Amino acid sequence: MNAIVDPSIIDIENPDNFELGGFADHTTALIKDCWYVAALTHEVSREVISKRLLGVDVALYRTLAGKAVAVRNRCPHRSFPLAKGKLEGDVLVCGYHGMAFNPNGHCVKMPALPIVPTHADVRSYPVVERGPLVWIWLGHPDRADESLVPDTEWLANPQWRTVNGFFPIQADYVSMHENLLDQTHFPFLHPGAIGTPEYARSKLDARMDGDAVVIDRALLNSPPPGVYAMPTGLTGKPVDRFSEARFVSPALHRAFARIVDNKDPSGQPRTYRFNITHIFTPETNQSMHYWWFCSRDFKHDDAAIDEHLSTASAKAYKEDVDALEWIMDNILKDSEPQFDLHFAPDKPGLMMRQSLYRLAMLEAGQPA
Amino acid sequence: MNPKLFDGKVQQVRQLTPRVREYQLTTADGSPLPAWTAGAHIALHLTSPTRGLVVRHYSLIGGDGLRDDPPNTYRIAVQREEHGFGSNLIHETFKTGTPLRMGPPVNSFALDRDASKVLLLAGGIGITPLVPMARSLLRRKRTFQVVYSGRCVEQMAYAQPLKALCGDALRLQCSDSDGVLDIPALLAQQDADTQVYVCGPTPFINAAIAAAQALGWAEGRLRSEAFISSVLPGDTPFKVLLKKTGREVQVHSDESLLDALSQARVPVFWDCRKGECGLCVTKVLSHDGELQHRDRYLTDEEKTQGQSMCLCVSRTNGQSLVLDL
Repeated sequence: MNAIVDPSIIDIENPDNFELGGFADHTTALIKDCWYVAALTHEVSREVISKRLLGVDVALYRTLAGKAVAVRNRCPHRSFPLAKGKLEGDVLVCGYHGMAFNPNGHCVKMPALPIVPTHADVRSYPVVERGPLVWIWLGHPDRADESLVPDTEWLANPQWRTVNGFFPIQADYVSMHENLLDQTHFPFLHPGAIGTPEYARSKLDARMDGDAVVIDRALLNSPPPGVYAMPTGLTGKPVDRFSEARFVSPALHRAFARIVDNKDPSGQPRTYRFNITHIFTPETNQSMHYWWFCSRDFKHDDAAIDEHLSTASAKAYKEDVDALEWIMDNILKDSEPQFDLHFAPDKPGLMMRQSLYRLAMLEAGQPA
Repeated sequence: MNPKLFDGKVQQVRQLTPRVREYQLTTADGSPLPAWTAGAHIALHLTSPTRGLVVRHYSLIGGDGLRDDPPNTYRIAVQREEHGFGSNLIHETFKTGTPLRMGPPVNSFALDRDASKVLLLAGGIGITPLVPMARSLLRRKRTFQVVYSGRCVEQMAYAQPLKALCGDALRLQCSDSDGVLDIPALLAQQDADTQVYVCGPTPFINAAIAAAQALGWAEGRLRSEAFISSVLPGDTPFKVLLKKTGREVQVHSDESLLDALSQARVPVFWDCRKGECGLCVTKVLSHDGELQHRDRYLTDEEKTQGQSMCLCVSRTNGQSLVLDL
């Protein structure tokens, strides 16, 4: 009888085996010292919710004063999920023995004892709200510098109109980052929507910017892809397209696109801007929470454009999600080993994998 | 239940002052240790050739300067006490490679992340939990001051590295040259929104608590590390008779009742080892001296009745005790 192998159990690479210049994949330790999105602001309320973030179950709620709070969703006494308990004012009361914790995670009551134990705190996590996003720091709280929260000001800026969506994904966040730095798949996985054959072949300029990876691309005098054509009203018309795709951090990829119509009826060139925000929070090494936002700086009140962008984006991202889940499934279940091939256009993805690997090494205390 | 202990070894030993040594402890297999925050301590489970199991608690330091030790390393500092069995055992036996076992980090002295102004007040070796607090405050760019009192700078562990880190935010008060620290005056000078964290010998902590009370400070504005020592200077030896088994166990002046029972392989429950959880509370059938209750678990009434005690921190100044074990 063969031993039962559970393909859902991944061996995380031992940090002792790190090699300089290595590339992160689904077996690389997750980066903890980083701001990740825990939830959208409207999800966090007086109803306690829980989510698994970087392998840790976290309970989220708001104080009476409206401050978002994140604590480990696990009572330090008998591991009862605290989100199954209740809020009494700002105090979270465990549903098992009534142990109670204030928003700092400090134990303020243990009904079964005549005293309050001093060492019975539940871990609390730094939380910052920016626009529609609740950011959480799951690494060492001393390093939770709020100035490191990535800029997403356009999501709260009235000059921009945003549609958004969410997918839970059974795939690793590394491959999702790679997917977004890989623009050669657009015309094939998303035909007609976000890529054109000309775009796939256009020369790209990829560079490192600290830990970030940036791709600048310009494609002049070519019709816009489907997803942008309808909102701008420029279907079939040659325009100049400029884009910057940026792996900002393990938690965020953003793409800024500018479409310039040099033959606008006004006689002046007209610029249409799209800011696409992709937010990833690993749930585990092989699953993730994925929030996407598509923001535009024109025709704010056009519901038909909202509908178009919403539907087209969700369709394209669902194609990415399906692809990555199929790939993850193959990697986990296929017993014959494979060493994936790389080609020149994969360079940005490899730069990102190297950056993530270096961050993981640093967190493991290895010089990188 | 999770195993609560990690197999480790001594990685590095450094003499900080004539009486204080710093030890870097690492896991035997190099695997990472649980993360912790400033103010946390660990229990070291040591084996003495004469006494068997000895458990001592030490605050975690964190690293050199603002650099963190690797995730598989804990750093502690141990002051050799004349009558301290544990500290002597550590100073005598800890060399690079010495095996040991350590418990997970526990924090009963957590720094409030939202505090805007902080005073860290240390007496002697009480500086140890305050070092990572200073590092945390510096990293988070908070306003703080460290007041560190001791006899002379040569005997004050981490005085130099703290000076390098904190600059003018560190005040060293050496009683040999500067006189004794005036704690009431120091607390009276503090701004209304300053939180105070104090650690040091019991009289030092008590003086700070009394000063805060005299100033009418709200409870919680001054926080102190609950003193974790099962043995105090002046403690005396005694015999324990175990009623159910008829056995007799000797408790030395420098060991706790719980340690003596563990050494004699008498099974008793315990967890916190600081008189809070109540797991080691045992019925006392008779005693010929005074029971010295040092726990927070029993009520004053129960302590006066003298029919039970916490084995981890409490003892007697008499000759013998009879326990229902």
